[in-house]
Amino acid sequence: MAHQNATKRNLQLLACTAPALIVFITMKIIPAVMGFWYSLTSWNGINPKKPFIGLENFREIFTTDSYFWDSLLFTFRYTIWIVVAMNILALLLALGIESQRRGKGVFRTLFYLPNMISLVIGSFMWNFIFTKVLYYMADTWGWSFLDHSWIGDPTFSFYAILTVALWGGTGYIMIIYIAAIQGVPEVLHEAAIVDGATPFQRLRSITLPMIAHSFTICLFITLNNAFQVFDVVYTLTGGGPGRATQVVAINIYEEAFNNSNRFGYATAKSLIVFAIVLVITSIQLTVMKRREQEL
Amino acid sequence: MNHTSDTRYSPRRILIFALLISYALFCLFPLVLALVNSFKTRSEIFTNIIALPEHLEFGNYGRSIKSMRYFRSLLNSAFISTAGLTGIVFFSSIAGWALCRFKGKLSTAIFSLFVLSMLIPFNAIMIPLYRIATVLHLSNTLWGMGWIYSGLGVGMAVFMYHGFVKGIPLDLEDAARIDGCNLLMTFKNVVFPLLLPITATIGIMNLLWMWNDFLLPLIMLQSPSRYTLLLSTNMLFGKYASDWPAILSALILSALPMIIVYVLLQKHIIKGITEGALKG
Repeated sequence: MAHQNATKRNLQLLACTAPALIVFITMKIIPAVMGFWYSLTSWNGINPKKPFIGLENFREIFTTDSYFWDSLLFTFRYTIWIVVAMNILALLLALGIESQRRGKGVFRTLFYLPNMISLVIGSFMWNFIFTKVLYYMADTWGWSFLDHSWIGDPTFSFYAILTVALWGGTGYIMIIYIAAIQGVPEVLHEAAIVDGATPFQRLRSITLPMIAHSFTICLFITLNNAFQVFDVVYTLTGGGPGRATQVVAINIYEEAFNNSNRFGYATAKSLIVFAIVLVITSIQLTVMKRREQEL
Repeated sequence: MNHTSDTRYSPRRILIFALLISYALFCLFPLVLALVNSFKTRSEIFTNIIALPEHLEFGNYGRSIKSMRYFRSLLNSAFISTAGLTGIVFFSSIAGWALCRFKGKLSTAIFSLFVLSMLIPFNAIMIPLYRIATVLHLSNTLWGMGWIYSGLGVGMAVFMYHGFVKGIPLDLEDAARIDGCNLLMTFKNVVFPLLLPITATIGIMNLLWMWNDFLLPLIMLQSPSRYTLLLSTNMLFGKYASDWPAILSALILSALPMIIVYVLLQKHIIKGITEGALKG
């Protein structure tokens, strides 16, 4: 009887989860499994045959594909910059907003506004600024420090990409920090004020330790997002000039859909990216677990 | 941080206020410049890019509405997001509930599958996903996009529903069962109404994601008549490379729906985003 009951419960469970499982397995699990198979073929996306070539794709990636490694290196560089800059900026903005008596809501609303708009639209607007407005300012007002080829020169296009990414993404991280700061019990601050602590001392000894958990969350949200960046680079520089700002997502996209239609080869690259993301995520989970045990 | 000092306007607070104002200007800068210049003629943009337009050149908007098929694209975007969200909410609410109520080895296994899949980055599956979508005739159709988004979105949503159901007492469901409700009726009439707060959060998160997503439609949709707002904007940018008034008015038009939604629902959106970030 108990056994029958368990079977019935399992059937009910399966019936309720079936719709979600079906779409999810079709769109996520099967592609992930297929990816492993494709990476071992020289399939070109059109040919019904998918010739098996073993680890040949991986050999080619590791020995000859310097563009891929350049794009990976550039992505790492971009990621480090974004993780550091976005977290510092977002934390400062959150602290700044929370230190005000008036206008908290207005600032929060304005700072989050760029996040509502797709980075595709944002990048095109910034493209106008970088290619037209800044030149105009440099010419008319003599602001020569603006007189650079912001999109055409690799050094400056890197900063252009960073600017737009920060513009479009910081608000979200700031919101998380604000929620954390608001969660710090008011009594702690009151007690510290009675003891004569300066604002800076309270920031260092109360606020920052109390929001350490959100710091971990934000760190890994920015890390994951930055590593998979596509929209902002694709629409702002297209990976150029040349391949100077090509991130790894663009490298894979172009390999599969634009240049050569080498689906098998591009899939092999995407698996390498997958492996890197897995490493990042497992570090994240370990760190988070350790933190929770400490608390 | 509220009781820094007794003086209302300490120099420190004024300095911070000034810095916040400058960051607010930075946030608005591209939007305002795009708006101002979208009403100028082409020659006016080159002579004075900062000033207000001499007269409002609405022709720019007419030109971009026509060439990016604005209303068609808007409808496509709305259809895809609605279809995707409907799928995500219906499929994952009942799944998340069942996974919490029928505890056992099977539920643990299924739940782990959903959670672990959140680790799979989109880049890693986009090429095989394109293939599957083509085989199932889901690519280059609006319905297909809805299905694909459902599949990509349910993992996270199941996780969030599951977490929410844990906090709902069993009493009501037991009462419904004793009154003769079957499983589906219990879920539909008793459980689902209780899930509305988390459904709002999931809805906001997923709508923002699908509406602003670029890479998936870029891969899947080939016919311009099925382009989303972002694809049409992207196409227009490539086609009218030097016609800035048309491009800028197109950018304003594509940003407009989200800005309107934000102005109307700002408080709910910020709340939903905060909860979504902390629970996900």
